[in-house]
Amino acid sequence: MGVFASKKDKLMSLEQAVGLIQDGDIIALGGKLSAREPMGIIREILRQGKRRLHSIGGAHGMDIDLLCAGGCLGKVQHSYIGFESDFGLAPNYRRACESGSVQVKETDCAAMTMQLRAAQFGLPFMPTPLVAGTDILKYNDEVKQMSCPYTGQKVNLLPAMRPNVVILHAHKADEEGNIKILPPFFADALLAETAEKVIVSVEEIITRDEMKKIGSSIPYYLVAAIVELPLGAHPTSCYPIYTYDRAHMDQYVKLAQRGGDAFRSQYLDKFVYRNKSHSEYLEAIGGEKKRMELSRWNENKECWLELMEKETVAE
Amino acid sequence: MRSEVSEAIRRGALGDKISFYTVDELMATCMARTIKDRTTVFNGVAVPLPFAAIMLARKSHAPDCIFWSGLLAGLNPDPCFLPPTSGDSAILTGADPVLHLSQIFELAMRGELDRIFFSGAQIDKHGNLNNTLIGSMSHMRVKLPGGAGASHLGAFAKHFTVWSIRHEATTTGKGQRIFSFVDKVDFITTMGHRNSYGTRKELGLKGGGPDVVVTNLCIFDFDENGCMRIKSLHPGVTLQEVLDNTGFEPVIPKKIEETTPPSRQDIRIIREVDPLGTRKRGFSEKSLQNRFDL
Repeated sequence: MGVFASKKDKLMSLEQAVGLIQDGDIIALGGKLSAREPMGIIREILRQGKRRLHSIGGAHGMDIDLLCAGGCLGKVQHSYIGFESDFGLAPNYRRACESGSVQVKETDCAAMTMQLRAAQFGLPFMPTPLVAGTDILKYNDEVKQMSCPYTGQKVNLLPAMRPNVVILHAHKADEEGNIKILPPFFADALLAETAEKVIVSVEEIITRDEMKKIGSSIPYYLVAAIVELPLGAHPTSCYPIYTYDRAHMDQYVKLAQRGGDAFRSQYLDKFVYRNKSHSEYLEAIGGEKKRMELSRWNENKECWLELMEKETVAE
Repeated sequence: MRSEVSEAIRRGALGDKISFYTVDELMATCMARTIKDRTTVFNGVAVPLPFAAIMLARKSHAPDCIFWSGLLAGLNPDPCFLPPTSGDSAILTGADPVLHLSQIFELAMRGELDRIFFSGAQIDKHGNLNNTLIGSMSHMRVKLPGGAGASHLGAFAKHFTVWSIRHEATTTGKGQRIFSFVDKVDFITTMGHRNSYGTRKELGLKGGGPDVVVTNLCIFDFDENGCMRIKSLHPGVTLQEVLDNTGFEPVIPKKIEETTPPSRQDIRIIREVDPLGTRKRGFSEKSLQNRFDL
């Protein structure tokens, strides 16, 4: 936890919330892969032109790829960045790594988790059972080995990793900043306890009384800023409200594969830079019709299967 | 385009359609056989094929295996289909409880993870896996997505099953042969049995490392020196074909069996678990066209 955040003045605009992020900050993003990534906030990070951010975390996809496309990252320390067997390699991430415009620090899901655990526990480092024999360790001089002073067992040591800013997308918040997250949880609650500042976009703001009825997942005093962004994880999913927008992601990857300049003119201008607000973005992706389409997954299995097979129409 | 089989599954009319199997189904069956009942298995990112294998094991010989499904960290799910991304909540269907992700890694650190499944863009004869990059750290030709948890979980898990759907060499325009099964991996993401840093025993790792490698051509196990040894050839595959597509010399035992084919029941379960055919992603079209009679 960072500075104790009082109950007032947390509801803010997207611009104000992203204004809390400084160039060069260590950031960690909520969600994973194709799920509940804080995409609305990320698009605003691109619009505000943040620079030299150092992103840490586990298995992610479009969030990091988009930050690479916007030139916002200086360093990436993630265990996996890609679109799995769905769409393959992350094209903007690849370009950034291979050209050297972004520094890559190789890591592992469990290692990253334990570094955050150390921060959560207020410890300078965390021991783990021995890991050895990999080139990830060869290129990471922060990892040390020692013998346990009690048992003699050899262990690895990983330094605490404390993000300056943690950015989450959640289901609900109340006006005091209590957050409700529905499963899957991923590492969001852990992240919230490690950060100096926690910024959260939510599908919906509810009253304190309504929150008490459903019970919150993250307490208000950890949270610095709340932004109401319905469909704020789009095109990643926010179950049970909406599934991921497979056709949009398909289009994203295909355009990104055409090269940095083509991606800028054909995707970034249309879906990021031209939109002054989140509501303009929602119009750009198809507005109410799109929202309805993505929320239909739970009508029946056939609807859900159809959403999983959607592909973009070739231009 | 939906296949005839996937249409049949959707109509619930699979019964009479099971007359053949394809290589993805053979591999899923072989991978399922590496799971023992009453053990704990986990799978991670980009893994529809092992997911199908684990579901097959749970619905056949290993009903009491404990299955933590991926980064969504749900216990014993019964998904109505396998989604194209392992971040999708379809794979949480029926799961309870749903944990926070860190709890999965902590379970593995406690030594309670019996088996996990890893693939590799490059795999060497000691089972070292590369999922990080092609080239070198200073000259990256291709930045691969990364190993996710495979570097640490490969050290903690009691065993892991290696799988590869790219056990086939390709030839470049300049006539150079490119292998997935290589003499030396460009980067060690996950440690196999031994490498330039030493052996698992010398280094003091707890986990036993890879014990089975299932490919689209054959199954390997490992000899006492931690070297890959051909165990069985898939139906229709010759020893020469395996050797031509392998960038190192595997150990060749006196007797090589033919891989036991799946049963009709195995195929029924796999197709019902995965009506979208997500497990087939990444296989070459040629290999999927090959139908084996049941």
